Amino acid sequence: MGSGISDAFDMNAGDSIGELPGKPVEVSSNPAEWLKKNLFANIANTLLTVVGGIATVLVLRGVLNFVFSEERRWDAVRTNLRALMTLAYPESQYARIWVSVAVLVTLVGLSSGLWANWGTIRVQRLCRWGMSLGGFIILCILLREPSVLLDSNGIVLRDSFSEPVRESFSSAMMSRSTWWIVGISFGGSGLAGWYRLDSTGRTKTVSATSTVLVPLGVLVVSLWVAPYGHYAYSDGLFIAEPGERVALSTSIPWTWLYLLLLATMVLGRFVRNSDLAGIAKTLVNVSWVISPFVLYWVILRDPDFDYAHVVSTDLPMGLLFGFLGSIILWWLTRSTGETARIFAVCLVGIAGFNWVAAAFGWYPMLQKARISFLLLAVAALLAPNFVGELAKRKKLVTYWLTTMLLVHYMATTINSPSTVDISSSEFLGGLSITLFVAALTIMFSFPLGVLLALGRTSKFPIFRVLSTGYIEIIRGVPLITILIFFSVMVPLFLPRGMELAELAAAITGYTLFSAAYLAENVRGGLQSVRNGQFEAADALGLTSVQRTGFIVLPQALRVSIPPLVGQVIATYKETSLLAIIGIFDFLRVANSAIPSQTAFLGVKREGLLVVSAIYFIFAFTTSKYSQRLERRLGVGER
Amino acid sequence: MSVNDATTAVSEELAKRKDMIVCVGVDKWYGDFQALKGVSATIKEGEVAVVCGPSGSGKSTWIRCINRLEVHQNGTIIVDGVELTNDLRNIEKIRSEVGMVFQQFNLFPHLTVLDNVTLAPIWVRKKPRVEAEALAKALLERVGIPEQADKFPGQLSGGQQQRVAIARSLAMEPRVMLFDEPTSALDPEMIKEVLDVMRELAESGMTMIVVTHEMGFAREVADRIIFMEGGEIVEVGTPEHFFVSPTEDRTKLFLSQIL
Ligand SMILES: Nc1ncnc2c1ncn2[C@@H]1O[C@H](COP(=O)(O)OP(=O)(O)O)[C@@H](O)[C@H]1O
Ligand SMILES: [Mg+2]
Repeated sequence: MGSGISDAFDMNAGDSIGELPGKPVEVSSNPAEWLKKNLFANIANTLLTVVGGIATVLVLRGVLNFVFSEERRWDAVRTNLRALMTLAYPESQYARIWVSVAVLVTLVGLSSGLWANWGTIRVQRLCRWGMSLGGFIILCILLREPSVLLDSNGIVLRDSFSEPVRESFSSAMMSRSTWWIVGISFGGSGLAGWYRLDSTGRTKTVSATSTVLVPLGVLVVSLWVAPYGHYAYSDGLFIAEPGERVALSTSIPWTWLYLLLLATMVLGRFVRNSDLAGIAKTLVNVSWVISPFVLYWVILRDPDFDYAHVVSTDLPMGLLFGFLGSIILWWLTRSTGETARIFAVCLVGIAGFNWVAAAFGWYPMLQKARISFLLLAVAALLAPNFVGELAKRKKLVTYWLTTMLLVHYMATTINSPSTVDISSSEFLGGLSITLFVAALTIMFSFPLGVLLALGRTSKFPIFRVLSTGYIEIIRGVPLITILIFFSVMVPLFLPRGMELAELAAAITGYTLFSAAYLAENVRGGLQSVRNGQFEAADALGLTSVQRTGFIVLPQALRVSIPPLVGQVIATYKETSLLAIIGIFDFLRVANSAIPSQTAFLGVKREGLLVVSAIYFIFAFTTSKYSQRLERRLGVGER
Repeated sequence: MSVNDATTAVSEELAKRKDMIVCVGVDKWYGDFQALKGVSATIKEGEVAVVCGPSGSGKSTWIRCINRLEVHQNGTIIVDGVELTNDLRNIEKIRSEVGMVFQQFNLFPHLTVLDNVTLAPIWVRKKPRVEAEALAKALLERVGIPEQADKFPGQLSGGQQQRVAIARSLAMEPRVMLFDEPTSALDPEMIKEVLDVMRELAESGMTMIVVTHEMGFAREVADRIIFMEGGEIVEVGTPEHFFVSPTEDRTKLFLSQIL
């Protein structure tokens, strides 16, 4: 890509991930020069460095002493890891959670293999990371207070002022030998790499994928060897086995997941270079979209099929519809004619009438048959678009068959009782509910937001007024109000027998809220699309839908990536408001579920710190990813 | 009055051909400002008409009315026998018959050159992708940049971009091509490569209306030159007539300024 331009926009051009070929490579100065140039260039600069340095040291010291204080009850977090992730999800059903995670890992692996051009990272950059990490670890070792001394009963020794007695500085330093080794090896290898390699060696690159996969691999291996300890909290009983390795029920699944990630990445890479790439990409995209729903099924439902009914009714009916429907559609796509249209319209009429009849109880037709009729009618309406070659006609039939199969399956599962035995109403909570709500909210609010933005910029006054009104109203109301409204008020207005589950209410509220903000971001992008683009599209004879879909939206969305990602992150963090309408989200588990356990009464800070860290990791990763995306799509380049 | 001028000034041979674009008394207002004042002209099949005139004289406005990028208020515009009305089907039909090349290229920056060229054939003409790509490659060959198919517009020079824009319009297999100052945004050394493509296109028999200040091109390629000023067609004639013995004072003034 026009490297001159992209350099100007890419502040980090020198060491960006995903190097562009042919870009001139600049070699950074050595660490000493760097320090001199950036930190001690002149008196003012030096002064700022010193003041900033002192502030950093003080803050870091405070954090370290907080984290490692003898008062901390980290076992509260370790013991409750499962609660933080899934709350009270029954142990016996945990396989479902693992399967869901495996599905997601597969999708991640396939996607990154199929799309991501991960690019490379300079050795120089790795050396810098090594040096920074090593330096940071050593700084932490030096700053942390010496540990307190315990007497033979494990009670903290106190002096006459009842201050805890601490070991001497030197013995503290000695006792941290493992950390010294870790810090020195990171920092040392960074430094050594830097000074040993000449400028060409340093500008060599390694695959960026490995910088993710190797640390992950190390973590997984450490599950098998490192004594993380084994802790559990079950039925009010606290079991702690420090020094043990984690249970096999944890390490085995994670190992499999890691291998699965590797395998799917390789598979994705492999398919990417084959003829199947196009189909595979479509498949993976579709899977991403339907995965939240399917996984919701997997996690919360275990349909108890009535196999006798399936064999006696469902299967024959499905086969009959499949067979007759295929023949009808095949016939309809023979040629475009008025008969086909008339037939399709009749079918729509019949399909609609079936529902009316069922509502008034004139004749009983199975719900599934009614649905199938409706689907067939829609397919028949679409038929004129598939007239032509054999392949095209087959496509319609395949679409119809798959949709019908899926819908039949879903209908069967919905109508059969679930065997997942969840004792309380707080069946699921913690991080999984947070992620679930965030994912669905983002998925639903995105299209809605885009539609609203298009409406607001539309030339039809009615759309403009409706969208603008909606956006302004929502933006003028606090999110909490909307959430409470949906969880308390909406069920009152719904017809009898139609109950919005709490979660569904929450997701609706979030979606409506988030869509208004997304719409404003997209509108910004829409306004940045130049008039010439509209004119060129018009001049080519594109319809306004095609113009919007192919020309305007892609450019608008590209420009709005930064604010859109900001909104995604905001939505994700706002899920912590779920607690207010009574859902046990991640934050609430840490803030009230754990502190109310008898073993950890009032232990809050540890959990909150961990929760913040995990929120941060997700948000930070998303933001980093969006930066990569921006760079790859060349936002700002024309 | 200009109607008669327009037809009389055509050569015998051209006069016998069928009418491709007929404008009669076209008026266009922007608010209270009248940008076109009764513009009438007939462009024959295979004719190359060069439109010139001072800036702000309504040249762009006129040719943009021909494919309905602007809506005229009075008068009639008929393209290839189809009258431009508010009927959407007519507009779509005319737009797919009339290609347009803009001063600022207006390529789609997020699509590769190949996708830029194949988009409309696939979605408007409903061509199978394979066929559309073959056509696009042939057209890129014709405008002299077959090797750039997989690049993005931002990676090309101005001259190359404008040639892609021409290929993109040609991919719709239009019956008429409109050019609105196609070389005005180009560096001098790139003007020739674009004019060469246009010259070749003119020789192949395409009906073209070209707004340009390239008088050399006009003299060499045009069948007729249309001079506009103040929203009116002031003078129409063959290049010899126009450059050698213009009749109107305003034309003479304009020529003295630019030649
Ligand atoms: N969108 C518009 N709104 C208002 N006035 C316009 C608009 N477009 C063009 N005009 C005016 O119409 C006149 C003719 O413009 P134009 O056709 O672009 O001239 P030319 O292409 O010959 O330079 C100019 O005076 C210009 O200011
Ligand atoms: Mg102009």
